[in-house]
Amino acid sequence: MKYKSIALLTLMLIIAGCAEIETKMQAYPKMYSPSEKPVSMLVVPVVNKSTAADAPDLINSTLTVPFADNGYYVMPISIVSDIFKREGITEGSQILGLPAGVFKKNFGADSVLYITINAWDTNYVVLAANVTVGMSYVLVSTEDNSVLWSYDQQIVVDTSQGQSSGLILLDIISTAITTAITDYIPIARQVNATAVATMPYGKYHPMVGQDGDMEVVLKSSREKALEQSN
Amino acid sequence: MNKNLFVILVLTLVVASCSSVSPGGYYWGNYSYTYHDLVKNPSTDSRAKHQETLRNIISESNELNLRVPPGIHAELGNLLAFDQQNEAAIAEFNKEMNVYPESKVFIERLLSGITQGGEK
Repeated sequence: MKYKSIALLTLMLIIAGCAEIETKMQAYPKMYSPSEKPVSMLVVPVVNKSTAADAPDLINSTLTVPFADNGYYVMPISIVSDIFKREGITEGSQILGLPAGVFKKNFGADSVLYITINAWDTNYVVLAANVTVGMSYVLVSTEDNSVLWSYDQQIVVDTSQGQSSGLILLDIISTAITTAITDYIPIARQVNATAVATMPYGKYHPMVGQDGDMEVVLKSSREKALEQSN
Repeated sequence: MNKNLFVILVLTLVVASCSSVSPGGYYWGNYSYTYHDLVKNPSTDSRAKHQETLRNIISESNELNLRVPPGIHAELGNLLAFDQQNEAAIAEFNKEMNVYPESKVFIERLLSGITQGGEK
């Protein structure tokens, strides 16, 4: 028993050793440069590569909170998306070719946040349900189009309730019901929160500039976001 | 020792009672929920509900001595402009600009929309 746990521990150490972790400063040096650090952030319409048509609205309604909490001025998404709609832009892929400088001129934004939903799948197993959500985030400077921050995040959330009624059919139905639309808001929040945890604090955060040493950035996730958004 | 315990207990209670304040130091109320409703089913009802959330965020933030979160005054202004309450809308837009000077270009765009007869 003891040997087993030692073996397991060693294995975990090996796995942990393979994943390269960077500090926030190593990963995102521009976010610590006084001349390049953004204050304001414009969220442009989401690119949806998943099959869930509802996903972009869910993501949009949960973005302001984590990014504002991280210390940035997030341009009011409800108004911004209305402006895009009026211009005939409802899907993020419509503006991918535009230089980010356009958004400096029209909105006064220091940076633009591009979001891609890569997966949003609900899986029902007999007594359980889970949702796999994969997203990538890329923050680009409107000064020179350079990438300021990027992260790719995939999480699996168990959406079934803890208790079972003992009747399988009833459980399946109640699982399907409990994965109702409002339950996705906490899921969307969770994905955002895990990604935002890697982002350097902004102007309005009490610890701005003091988080450079935090070792929280998975290098592979930082790089993957750049591939996903292409 | 007992005193320390008491201090910790009081502190915990204080923190627990402030649990509606987010990690970034903002009060968000029902924001995500009423906003999502508004996007999914735009109607007089969902607009009113979201407006109520925004007003609640502003009053709670003032009460708790917190900065009103980014975009809240602007969103309220936008809903008021939609209802043709232009003066109240302009007041909210100006408040947004005062709290967040980096919103200037954007807010001026919204203000010019009102004076030109309304960005809907």
